[in-house]
Amino acid sequence: MLPTAICLLPTLKLYSKISIVQNLSPIEKVKRESDGLRGSVRESLTDEVTGAIREDDQAVIKFHGMYQQDDRDQREERAEKKLDRLYSFMIRLRLPGGFLTPAQWIATDEIAGENSTGIIKITTRQTIQLHGLIKSKIKPTIQAFNKAKLDSIATCGDINRNVVCSSHPLQSPIHDQVFAYADKISEMLMPKTRAYYEIWLDEEKIADKKEEEDPLYQDRYLPRKFKIAIAIPPNNDVDVFANDIGLIAVIENNKLLGFNFAIGGGLSATHGSKETYPRLASLIGFVAGEEKTLKAIYETLTIQRDFGNRSDRKLARLKYTLDKYGVAWFKEELEKRIGFKFETARPYSFTDRKDFYGWHKSFQGLWYYTVFIENGRVLDDKTIKLRSALLEVAKTGKANFRFTCNQNLILSDIQEADKVVVQTILKNYKLTQHTEGASSIRKNSMACVALNTCPLALAEGQRYLPSLISKIEPLLAKNNLQEEDIIIRMTGCPNGCARPYVAEIGLVGTAYGRYNLHVGGDHQGERLNKLFKENLDEVAILQELDILFSGFKSNRKAGERFGDFVFRLQEN
Amino acid sequence: MLAEPKLKTLKQLAETLTKEELIWVNGYLAGLMTQGSTEPLEQVMSSISKISILFGTDTGNSKKLATGFATTAKRKGITVKLSGLDQYRLSDLQKEEYLIVIISTHGEGEPPAAAKKFYDHIHQNTFSLDKLNYGVLALGDTAYPLFCKAGEDVDARLQTLGAKRIIALQKCDTDYEADANQWFENILISLQAGVVPKHIQPIAQRKPGIKKNYTGTVLTKINLNGKGSAKETYHLEIAAEELAYQPGDSIGIVPENPQEIVEAITALVNIDPSKKLLHKEVEISVLDLLKKKLNIVYLPERVVKKYAAIVQQEIPVTRIDLLNLLKIYPVKDIAQFEEVVTILEPITPRLYSISSSLKTHEGEVHITVARNCFTINDEKYHGLCSNYLAFLNENSTFEFYVHKNSQFKIPAAEKDIIMIGPGTGIAPFRAFIEERDATGASGKSWLFFGDQHFETDFLYQTEIQSYLQTGSLTRANVAFSRDQREKVYVQHKMLAQAEEFYRWLEAGAYVYVCGAKEPMSADVEKALLQIIMNTGNKTQEQAEDYLNQLKEEGRYEKDVY
Ligand code: SRM
Ligand SMILES: Cc1cc2nc3c(=O)[nH]c(=O)nc-3n(C[C@H](O)[C@H](O)[C@H](O)COP(=O)(O)OP(=O)(O)OC[C@H]3O[C@@H](n4cnc5c(N)ncnc54)[C@H](O)[C@@H]3O)c2cc1C
Ligand SMILES: Cc1cc2nc3c(=O)[nH]c(=O)nc-3n(C[C@H](O)[C@H](O)[C@H](O)COP(=O)(O)O)c2cc1C
Ligand code: SF4
Repeated sequence: MLPTAICLLPTLKLYSKISIVQNLSPIEKVKRESDGLRGSVRESLTDEVTGAIREDDQAVIKFHGMYQQDDRDQREERAEKKLDRLYSFMIRLRLPGGFLTPAQWIATDEIAGENSTGIIKITTRQTIQLHGLIKSKIKPTIQAFNKAKLDSIATCGDINRNVVCSSHPLQSPIHDQVFAYADKISEMLMPKTRAYYEIWLDEEKIADKKEEEDPLYQDRYLPRKFKIAIAIPPNNDVDVFANDIGLIAVIENNKLLGFNFAIGGGLSATHGSKETYPRLASLIGFVAGEEKTLKAIYETLTIQRDFGNRSDRKLARLKYTLDKYGVAWFKEELEKRIGFKFETARPYSFTDRKDFYGWHKSFQGLWYYTVFIENGRVLDDKTIKLRSALLEVAKTGKANFRFTCNQNLILSDIQEADKVVVQTILKNYKLTQHTEGASSIRKNSMACVALNTCPLALAEGQRYLPSLISKIEPLLAKNNLQEEDIIIRMTGCPNGCARPYVAEIGLVGTAYGRYNLHVGGDHQGERLNKLFKENLDEVAILQELDILFSGFKSNRKAGERFGDFVFRLQEN
Repeated sequence: MLAEPKLKTLKQLAETLTKEELIWVNGYLAGLMTQGSTEPLEQVMSSISKISILFGTDTGNSKKLATGFATTAKRKGITVKLSGLDQYRLSDLQKEEYLIVIISTHGEGEPPAAAKKFYDHIHQNTFSLDKLNYGVLALGDTAYPLFCKAGEDVDARLQTLGAKRIIALQKCDTDYEADANQWFENILISLQAGVVPKHIQPIAQRKPGIKKNYTGTVLTKINLNGKGSAKETYHLEIAAEELAYQPGDSIGIVPENPQEIVEAITALVNIDPSKKLLHKEVEISVLDLLKKKLNIVYLPERVVKKYAAIVQQEIPVTRIDLLNLLKIYPVKDIAQFEEVVTILEPITPRLYSISSSLKTHEGEVHITVARNCFTINDEKYHGLCSNYLAFLNENSTFEFYVHKNSQFKIPAAEKDIIMIGPGTGIAPFRAFIEERDATGASGKSWLFFGDQHFETDFLYQTEIQSYLQTGSLTRANVAFSRDQREKVYVQHKMLAQAEEFYRWLEAGAYVYVCGAKEPMSADVEKALLQIIMNTGNKTQEQAEDYLNQLKEEGRYEKDVY
């Protein structure tokens, strides 16, 4: 039976104009009144006395791929000095599938050095972020990126975000084909407004607003962010079920048949709020062919646009729309909109979420080197000069750059003859030693940005996890578990940017120096973990892990993964 | 009082005298009194009806006196030509007959910037001024080693050029009113009587009055520069009893020498630091004398010369610290060191623009101090006073006085103001804005500020932001020189807003500039001229006239250092 909502659809639309409008979240108003995402950004940029932009514009520029942030470490001190908060902007590139040519990497490196903190941050969604751009550097940054044929459109905001895709071409001969989907999906779901080009690239104002009419996003965009991932089994490196739409490539005899279609994944929760929860995507069927696949994706967005919650942003993701109306209803509505039925989902199997560190050769005979980049931070520091090394590789022009959803980097598509050149650079800069020498747990770790830039952080993330791992390593060694691949992820708050809820060990910040410990996720990302202990400090974290590790060592079944072992314990 | 016979003679004489003669006698007697001399005065002409009064000022004190004197003289029927030395046509000098010069001393015994042209003209050229009769009133401050030097120089030079001194040079300390007025009265008397003393003796120096000194207690000290800045700028909030000042004034502070340097000196010459010496007729310990009274760092060349004479050694004439002198050219014994002490000059006061309004901060004075920094042979050193202030702890006390600036003042409430103050030049403008905020002044205000980096060097940023929000400040433009490849300064921001700037000028806005004299204030002036020329469609000359007009109307004021 159809839920009543669907029968009343026309009325509902009318309603939304009359009564629901009153409870719209403030952001909805900003979007509508933004004149196609222009807002008063220009005016905000010329305000010399503040490094910030106007409040409404802060919402607007997210759609252009930027967040206003401030250095939280310095807030108090600066207030005392009568200095305003140290505002700066983070910019996130749109890199469907996470790919850069060497020339683009060189450009990015240059821009980072010139305009940002100089650290290139590889994100958990296969793209890169630069932090610390001051207001006056935004425009030059975007212009320089544009020269390198790169943009940051719609990497943030209530809109489809960067489309991620299994990263290692080694995985399958059809990788290229699947990879191309990321780009097509991204293009299809771009907003139509020319605002980005006008504001940042000095494009002339369009004369006729009709030119940028947007049938998908209209003037209200989506109720919330929207994420799409494509996985190529057996590797689930993209965490496909953590996305609003997850496509699982179905391959037979080296042919791409189509995709299993999963919807409604999302990880964020709010501490103390039962209404919010992480949710893995629900598989609703199989779809074949590009046209149909794109259509199904497009209409999933239109349903979310029309039915998503626009008054409470905490409950606005597709996962809540889905749970409100039911998966069955959603599928029916979707089939109605796309005009065809989903086939039954095809069998598939995930075994891993790993990055293939070190050298690997693809079926085409091209070489790939996956560099371990702890928490995705590419910089030169006392121990290792990652940024210089990678720049040097890029300058040879012999390797493309691919990013993984585990915040690592693959030097890719290297000809047999060029391998030695790249290898020499990697050796000289000790990158091989760095990658191969890192412990298993470190190589399976991720942390989100958190302090000092993330305004939502309650605790440390990437600044802290490396040192915590150094303390976990001896515990593993003690139990002879140092070779074990255990996925550990930390975030500074429950938003889940490093996907801790699908880790074997998840640490979710609750307050400065305190974390909830989640355990029991599986290795391949098909099962959420469970909250195990709350509000632990470092000593307690280490204690709890020590107990779990020694239990694991003594009581594991043959070949049993840590996550599965703990899950078994939890179930009993 | 007079014995009968004397009185009788005087009365008899008086009865025979005409009114003019009476005035003459009056002047004669006044001359007798002030100069304590019975030398006969020479009659020049019957009565003088025309004089020129020229003033050379930096902070407006000389101008205030000159204007006041001109008014009085006019009331007495004398025709007065009043002019600033900067506006004065130098070729007129040889045509003058009666000239009064009121000039202060600045820098290290230098004439004020506005008087430099005149000062150089009379010193660098030789011409005859034998038609000229003159008098010089010198303003200064006894706290400086070269007290009233510029006035002395002008007075002496005019005489060398053949002019006749009609009244002795009067040197005035910072409490100059009484001395100056007495001097003016004397001149008027002489002028009206038409006499000049034949032989001049200086007016007896009045005992220096008690200057108003305050004891300040540091309430708050904040380094306004953020982490990573190349600069240190301290905001000091100081409490003192019975404070009186106006925005635009500054405070003078005599810094203390660093204890460790003083101790190094006493150790080197082996003198007991607690030994009492006589200084300005008061007993004081060697330690206190060297720490609080006498300048022992970066000695002027004239002091080095005197030192060489005492120790009887050949010393290259250059600026050097006392400690180094003592190390390289040692004194023979303690007695010789004590002799050296007598040639040392007082520590000169440093001025800091007041950055607060009493209306907002009752009983407090705020200053904004950049820690001065310089390098010699790659080694980093700090300026004496700013360093002393930078290290003052909260609750510590120090002495200061208020240096009044009569020109750099907020105009009437309804007037618009443009304030250009990069770096510590912001200081008086914080006071201006506070004052206008407290009084709810209706005039518009526009601030130009600049420094090296937006992130770390935007002094008083949050205050400026909130004044903009409440409307107590109408506009603000900021220039940060090192945030981009090409340097951007306040003058560039002015030029970028040329039309609006000119509109404000045309509407009667007052322009204030504070901060570094070089190159800032010169570049700002160039920008101003350019705005007037380009936006106002004027030739260079017309623009200069326009600016001069502003100056005359008190609508273009600088407090630069
Ligand atoms: C950079 C990144 C983490 C990293 O260290 O790699 C990140 C960083 C931030 N995330 Fe995230 N998220 C990142 C992946 C994720 C993921 C993982 C994923 O998508 O696979 C999640 C969980 C999945 C999901 O969306 O459910 C995630 C869920 C959130 C949420 C919670 C969303 C929700 O449904 O409530 C927020 C908060 C929000 O949107 O209100 C958030 C917000 C943020 C912001 C922008 C904070 C903010 O809103 O002001 C963080 C910026 C910090 C900084 O200084 O850079 N981020 N964020 C990841 C960038 C991905 C990208 O390139 O687009
Ligand atoms: C009207 C007025 C208002 C002012 N307002 C302010 C204000 O608001 N804020 C502010 O910060 N300043 C202000 N100043 C400047 C202030 O008065 C001082 O000049 C400044 O603080 C430097 O003084 P100091 O004692 O720290 O440095 P000093 O010790 O006087 O040194 C000054 C310079 O002399 C040279 N020097 C000193 N010692 C040596 C040595 N041993 N060898 C070689 N060279 C040497 C260096 O070049 C040094 O930079 C103002 C000045 C004036 C005239
Ligand atoms: C920066 C500065 C330097 C000064 N240097 C001297 C000096 O060397 N000798 C002196 O007698 N007075 C000096 N004075 C004191 C002034 O001459 C005195 O304050 C005078 O009243 C200023 O008059 P004006 O406002 O007309 O310029 C100095 C004042 C300042 C602000
Ligand atoms: S998980 Fe929380 S703290 Fe970490 S980056 Fe995301 S929003 Fe910030």
